[in-house]
Amino acid sequence: MKMTLNINRKEHEVDIKGHETLLEVLRDQLGMTGTKTSCNESECGACTVIIGKKATLSCITLVANVAGEEVTTIEGLAKGEELHPVQQAFLDNGAAQCGFCIPGMIMSCTALLNNNPNPTQEEMEYALDGNICRCTGYLKIFEAIRDAGGRLSEMEAPKESTFYRHTPETVSSKS
Amino acid sequence: MQTINKDYVNPVGKSVPKIDGKGIVTGQIKYVFDVNLPNMLVGKMLRSPHPHARILSIDTSKAEKLPGVKAIVTSKDTHLIKYGSNEYFFPHTVDQLPLEDEKVRYIGDEIGAVAAVDEETAEEALKLIDVKYELLPAVFDMEDAMKPGAPAIHEAMNNIAVILPVNFGNADRALKESDYIREDIFRTQAAAHSSMEPHVCIGQWENFSNKITLWSSSQAPFKCRESLAKCLKMDLNDVRVIKLAVGGGFGSKLEMLPMDFAACLLSQKAGGLPVKITYTREEEFSFSRRKHGMIYKLKSGVKKDGTLMVMTGEVIADGGAYCSYGPTVIAAAIMRTFMVYKIKNFRINGYRVYTNNPISGAIRGFGGVQSGFSVESHIDMLAKGIGMDPVEFRMKNATDPNMVTINKMYLSSNGLKECITKATEAADWKNKHGKMRNMSRGIGIGIAADVMGSKMYKSHESAGSIVKVEEDGSVYLFTGAADTGQGSNTALSQIAAHELGVSYSRIRCKSGDTEITPFDTGSFASRVTFISGNATKRAANDAKKQILSVVAEEFKAAIEDLDIIAEQVVNKKDNSVIMNFDKALDLCYSFNYGRQIIGRGSYNPKTTPVDFRTAEGNVSGSYGFEAQIAEVEVDRETGQVKIIKMWDAHDIGKAINPQAVIGQIEGSMAMGIGYTLYEDLKFKNGRVVNANFANYRLPKSLGTPPMETILIETIDPEGPFGAKGMGEASLLPTSAAIANAIEDAVGVRIKELPITPDKILKALKEKEEQERLKSPETPVSAARG
Repeated sequence: MKMTLNINRKEHEVDIKGHETLLEVLRDQLGMTGTKTSCNESECGACTVIIGKKATLSCITLVANVAGEEVTTIEGLAKGEELHPVQQAFLDNGAAQCGFCIPGMIMSCTALLNNNPNPTQEEMEYALDGNICRCTGYLKIFEAIRDAGGRLSEMEAPKESTFYRHTPETVSSKS
Repeated sequence: MQTINKDYVNPVGKSVPKIDGKGIVTGQIKYVFDVNLPNMLVGKMLRSPHPHARILSIDTSKAEKLPGVKAIVTSKDTHLIKYGSNEYFFPHTVDQLPLEDEKVRYIGDEIGAVAAVDEETAEEALKLIDVKYELLPAVFDMEDAMKPGAPAIHEAMNNIAVILPVNFGNADRALKESDYIREDIFRTQAAAHSSMEPHVCIGQWENFSNKITLWSSSQAPFKCRESLAKCLKMDLNDVRVIKLAVGGGFGSKLEMLPMDFAACLLSQKAGGLPVKITYTREEEFSFSRRKHGMIYKLKSGVKKDGTLMVMTGEVIADGGAYCSYGPTVIAAAIMRTFMVYKIKNFRINGYRVYTNNPISGAIRGFGGVQSGFSVESHIDMLAKGIGMDPVEFRMKNATDPNMVTINKMYLSSNGLKECITKATEAADWKNKHGKMRNMSRGIGIGIAADVMGSKMYKSHESAGSIVKVEEDGSVYLFTGAADTGQGSNTALSQIAAHELGVSYSRIRCKSGDTEITPFDTGSFASRVTFISGNATKRAANDAKKQILSVVAEEFKAAIEDLDIIAEQVVNKKDNSVIMNFDKALDLCYSFNYGRQIIGRGSYNPKTTPVDFRTAEGNVSGSYGFEAQIAEVEVDRETGQVKIIKMWDAHDIGKAINPQAVIGQIEGSMAMGIGYTLYEDLKFKNGRVVNANFANYRLPKSLGTPPMETILIETIDPEGPFGAKGMGEASLLPTSAAIANAIEDAVGVRIKELPITPDKILKALKEKEEQERLKSPETPVSAARG
């Protein structure tokens, strides 16, 4: 079955059987290997992309369900050679070590900051709780978010809900 | 012509961004995980479902007929040559076959592999292979495995692969001379490396030229090449191992797995098509390598004045089915004490034991995490036993600079005491220790030291570097060192740029391809900054001299008077600028000179051979030191431990890149907190029962405590620009610092990791009972709080 995907503001035609995840199609069919597979069972966040405005795990998202949605991956953030402010902040603050979790981490941070350019420490911790990093101990990632938040607030920030999971509200309502 | 970033001139000591950082943050950098070659097949491993069994037969005929299956290999396709990781020091521990032949020794043991057009077909083919086993009795407990009559897993007597008797001075006499003696038994658990990129490799056998290329997510490509060549009976240089970006290793990617051999063998059988084998997360948890669970028994004596007289005991390590790096892990777990404490009498026997559990191997800290928890907890209790402050006790017994330890290690630069002083000052130890119990808060310290290299698999530990300066002003650094994310390519590039006298922005670093880069033993033992850094510094210096010789010839100057500093060729006699770097290169590559600039450097640390039967010898060219402090709050109702803050004062010699150094320390502390409080790889009858991130908890962003890092620069005489390695040390004292802080907070001593809430509640309850027995009239409620 052929379907058209809107990824990083470009249309891509793909041929699917129906059971593929978005992650599989991105990596295996479209060769967009920036998005990573690490656990493939929704526990680590390495496969995070932004769908619409929400940070979403592409390993548990069926590609058939994203028809008509705007998908943004790590490949869609930089404008030419100019890095997105979140990418630049990760680079400048030493927030990446091995880098394997970083595309997913940056997508989660971008979704967070698009909604809230000045998150509190608690908001940052909740927003990233689904993204595992084994290298950094997270502190430099928090520094990068604060830095990127500052850079982004100088630009225009939209004020809509951008969260799919792990916002302080959803967590507290569960408990 | 290169665009020069002036901010990156004299880069040593500056927090320049990672050299491959732009690739990482854009997702463009390629890991082996991301590589797809034309007509690539998918490989899967055939594993034993039994912990201990004899292989009677393997019938692959049905699987071979399945459409889409391109190759199946078993031990029949191998030369039955074993590989191992400690062949230099412990040749008898080379005990694993690329694919097992007669016996399987753990659940997951590899006996074959399949290559097919896709994953589903490969998995289907595995199910069609009929293996007949004769089940053998298995043993899972390390102490049971040592008992006479236990099932024999290999040929080793009582399943003891290695006995390491470490004995210096006169322990019995020293115990008699001690004023206070205590005995403790500590237990530590298995843990998983959990690199975010799982193990992955692609093997390609060029059938016509009979050459192999293996792309591997490896920490030690040259070691990989050696084992492949040996086991597949190839000439060393007919094997090429290429490492791309590595998504974390932490020791798990230091040695080869059977998958690396299988990918090559499958490719050969499939007519040279490339075969990619990727571990799933479950395979990663169950069948890669893991941290040794250890039992650490200690009996030590001290004088009333706080002199540590003697330490004795026994260390038993659960090695699992094969030796891997186990022999040197247990050696390192015992020898570390000498770097930290001035001790004259010492007797500890180490046993590395086979069981039918998954294989234990190298993991960040290399035995030091288990010994760090045990020894540093024990030291606190010794100090308490004589009524001495644990910091004062450590200051009294800590090693000094320029001293030789009882096992002949030479500690040249040593900032250990300064680390203790700075860390305790930063944490306000004096006003906190023993003074926060009313809030159930406490503070604890641990100290540690680490090596910079260890000669684990070769008689030499050399590293080589090439610095090639091109006509257009770009500088290529070729190093065999394997950056696994820690940033060694960045640090080495900074060293090259600084020594050459140019901006870091000129450097292009090429690493980890055995056919192109010079030899390097790999990323382990915190060795790369120190050893590969020295090789790189020499290579850059060689390149610089080649440029200066052309300038000297042209200007009829003495080469000794010339230098390149901050992009300028200068005459040191009068500090005059002769020309800029680009002009000097124009001269080198001019009609008259046409001289290519190719600098070379090689470095082998000054060490003395270590006799691992006694642990005597100077294993490393320098040693790094640190003190770590944890402040915790314990919830007496739930047993939950909250880390309030961590402090780490670290003697790193010289920080080549302070931001990267602090990143290593913070990452280590997070890993240490995880291991101390919850990380626990659990087995039931040899099977890993929590082989996923949902049930094996890793440190996450939520609840990350603040961490303060203090860098102590002792400028090591042998290190490049004074630098020492530091990738592992920060993990060593964390568990003890937290355990000691818990004791300070609520008065209970937990001797078994991980320190879970139930253990704390149990200990609190026992303490309450004891206090009640001591004073029967005290009601239970009053003993609380």
